[in-house]
Amino acid sequence: MSVLAQITAAAEAYHHFVEQEAARARTDSRFGEKILQRWQAARAGVATVTTPTGLKLPRLALPQTDDPGEIARYLYGEGLPGEFPFMNATYPEVYLQAEPTAHSGHRKSQTANRKSEEPTRLFAGLGLAEDTSKRFHYLTRQQNTIRLSTAFDGPTLYGIDSDADGVFGKIGEGGVAIDTVEDMERLYAGFPLGDEHFSVSMTINGPAPIILAMYIAAAKRRLGPGIVPKLRGTIQADILKEVQAQNEVIFPLDASLRFLTDMVAFTTTQMPRWYPISISGYHIGEAGATPVQQAAYTLSNGFTYVELFRERGLDINQFGPRLSFFLDCGLDIEYLALARVCRKLWAIGMRDVFGAGERAQLFKLHTQTSGRSLIAQDFKNNLTRTALELMLACINATNSCHSNSADEPFTTPSEEYVRLAAQAQAILLEESGLFKFMMNTLGGSPGMKIVERAVEEGIRNEFREIDQLGGALAAIEHRYQRSQIQSAAYRYEQQIEDGTRPIIGLNRYPAPTARLPAVKVVRTPRHKKQQQADRLARFKRRNRGQTEKALDDLAAVVEAGGNVFGELIKTVEHCSLGQITARLHDLVGHYRPSV
Amino acid sequence: MNTKRIQETKKSGPIRILTAVPICDGHDSAINTINLEFIRQGIEVIYLGYHRSARDIVRAAIQEDVGAIGISSYNGGHVEFFAEVLDLLKKQGAADIRVFGGGGGTITPADVRLMKRRGVDEIFFAGTPMTEIVDFVKRNYGRHATIPLSRQALSRGLNDRDLARRLTVVESNVGHSSFNIRSSTPGSCVVGITGPGGAGKTTLLDELALRFLKANAHARLAILSHDPSALGKGALLGDRATMIYSQDDRVFMRSLASRGKSGGLSSATERCLQLLRYCGFDLVLVETVGIGQEAMPFGRKLVDKTVLVMSPDYGSRLQLQKIVMLDAADIVVVNKSDLAAAKTAAAEIEQRLTLNHRGQKLVCTVAKRHRDAGVDTLFQLLKP
Repeated sequence: MSVLAQITAAAEAYHHFVEQEAARARTDSRFGEKILQRWQAARAGVATVTTPTGLKLPRLALPQTDDPGEIARYLYGEGLPGEFPFMNATYPEVYLQAEPTAHSGHRKSQTANRKSEEPTRLFAGLGLAEDTSKRFHYLTRQQNTIRLSTAFDGPTLYGIDSDADGVFGKIGEGGVAIDTVEDMERLYAGFPLGDEHFSVSMTINGPAPIILAMYIAAAKRRLGPGIVPKLRGTIQADILKEVQAQNEVIFPLDASLRFLTDMVAFTTTQMPRWYPISISGYHIGEAGATPVQQAAYTLSNGFTYVELFRERGLDINQFGPRLSFFLDCGLDIEYLALARVCRKLWAIGMRDVFGAGERAQLFKLHTQTSGRSLIAQDFKNNLTRTALELMLACINATNSCHSNSADEPFTTPSEEYVRLAAQAQAILLEESGLFKFMMNTLGGSPGMKIVERAVEEGIRNEFREIDQLGGALAAIEHRYQRSQIQSAAYRYEQQIEDGTRPIIGLNRYPAPTARLPAVKVVRTPRHKKQQQADRLARFKRRNRGQTEKALDDLAAVVEAGGNVFGELIKTVEHCSLGQITARLHDLVGHYRPSV
Repeated sequence: MNTKRIQETKKSGPIRILTAVPICDGHDSAINTINLEFIRQGIEVIYLGYHRSARDIVRAAIQEDVGAIGISSYNGGHVEFFAEVLDLLKKQGAADIRVFGGGGGTITPADVRLMKRRGVDEIFFAGTPMTEIVDFVKRNYGRHATIPLSRQALSRGLNDRDLARRLTVVESNVGHSSFNIRSSTPGSCVVGITGPGGAGKTTLLDELALRFLKANAHARLAILSHDPSALGKGALLGDRATMIYSQDDRVFMRSLASRGKSGGLSSATERCLQLLRYCGFDLVLVETVGIGQEAMPFGRKLVDKTVLVMSPDYGSRLQLQKIVMLDAADIVVVNKSDLAAAKTAAAEIEQRLTLNHRGQKLVCTVAKRHRDAGVDTLFQLLKP
């Protein structure tokens, strides 16, 4: 029985357990009394808030019932926020403003009360390392907590050097060009890497272990070896979704998973504040998957990683809390409850199948609004789309969120629309009264429950399909996830063409004069691209004497089955990204693309 | 070597185009969707896949002798990339292969104007209805002008372009002999590779190509690959998309659609092979469509050696008895021999081959495994 079959069985067993407890609460008066007491205590613990218009509301919305059966069903089936199975939220409070309601200057206390940092993630990456670094410094000049999110250019994402044949035009486009540890030093120069209010996020997958090794090596160069355990951040490193959807995988799957596991083994023991993998449905959704497929494949990928890391002998209670998730949020009705269901299934799987403790049961989620739902025609409608998606994400109590800029379908986001997108979050969470006074406004409502059940059933059906193929890895061999995603993408396009999926401004109410606004795209100038290629050549010349030896040492570790990641931290001192991937390709081969 | 010279001829048959996603770009969702629509509308699409260099794209387009190249770009650098493709086409005397494209990311209207000035026919922005793109392709790449063929005779010196065009003539005038080859000319060794769909033929072939290229720094390889046409529709010729090592200047690859012919090959296969055999390749590999139990795709003298590639999950021993190719093949490969069923499969097949008393060889491989020893063994057996 593959692990997915066990998860499905556990979810069914849990459902059965909830129904049993509900029945027992009705028939067993002592148990019913206990449930009622718990309920009363929970209700009593909820503070009251007064809105600016004088309305008095509880800070947490709970069902109005005194039937012990219903109460048991709620407490076990959904759980109070922060309680198993975490359907309502991972933590007892999300988004709420400080209590009691402050009349002035509440902004500061609100931040303090949430015990969270400014939710803004500042995504950047353009040109050379020093350009991106300058941009990071500019964007964070007024921030107390600094959370940098780094985008890499195409050659870096594919582990190719900037001086490789045919990639010149791609240098520094869409992200920053990183070839060497020296580029990495330039990228985060001047930032307090070990500070507890500083974290980085790196959106890279195929060559993730090499890039993280460069980050560690760069940090050590500037701050000494003592810096390593203090480093804080996230690297995406989700190879399974790459194979299924995004196609940025460079080594064969088994080798990729080995390198990843080596990296996770290292960070788990030596970098306790690092999130070594961000299990991502976003790219699966963007590639065309339905919301249910997105959730099912993401969860099954997550459970696959857990299995792999456990096989390596890692402690689930050590690495489990360092797993995080990243989902897409579009406009389909499934998104009303998608993340709620994911939280529940993850928690059940982690607790009941893998025996994980509570911290490892949490489905910590970053959501991004759907890029695919945005279109160039009448593009200001994208503001509305993104706002609605943000609201859905917050109804799902996502832990953090990125909202897309309305101009993304046709250009790199301009300052104006980046600002509007960020402020949409502030309008939703700070200006509107929807989330700051009361939590869980829709949780437990009939409509929400119906969507939850339908979504959960869909996900379980997908689990069964994948299990019948032998689990997530075997299903990949059969191209199952890919072909499902492609079929869904094709259906979506056909629905747009035949009008059954209305897209305002495209196939319904098109604008009379459909003209794109004049856009100015920031490109990396030719001389910068040349500069990157030139200094890479200098790095290679300077290290010529040591490169081969370093690569041979790496090869020896690969062949001997040792931890490749530990060695990579040394290799990057003398070798470029492309030199390392080339040697690894010799040893383990290339990823064979599937169509 | 002396051959009757080919004169100019007209292309007929389905439109053939090549589609691809540029280097360092993995966004294949749009192109996959559009490929399906092209096929539905009767177009033959040679799909090269994502993360492909301009050199790989141009080489493939020339070898496949397509009417046009469609490039879907989402990751920036498109102005340079399209220019590089156009430039390479021009350098190789193939500027009549047209280029169109589409995508998103950062393609601006100003970029499109610049790209068109440089020779790109059209750029479709994301959101363009699929029918508009299909109509454009049909309108512009449908009827082809006459193909000017060089008067050079078949020889080792024939370049990819000339060979590809001769293959087009052969494919579109099946049955009409337009050239003769003196039978005294020594030809290349031709190996036929067949087997059921999903056995891993394409992967195995690509791994053989890797060993071939490594074994001799000057040798040249030809691959003739077959894919089925959809009933009454076009075809997705997608083998190239999963191949890594066969994208090389020393490999000439051509993809044929079955165009309604059953049995694993195309009506034009025989003529194409005759041509390829006399163009100085050190080895010619022919890969069939995935075949059924009763198929015997290689007729007499079509190939010099035949390889049957099987997956261990063929079912029961009874099913094995029905596979006709097991009697005909010179070499039988049990691929995916890392699967649990492989031991039994190898034993059953071995027994069957022994009973045949024909000296057939059995090789167990895991083609997807890097440096697989079984594939090494197979390569040694195929050496001419």
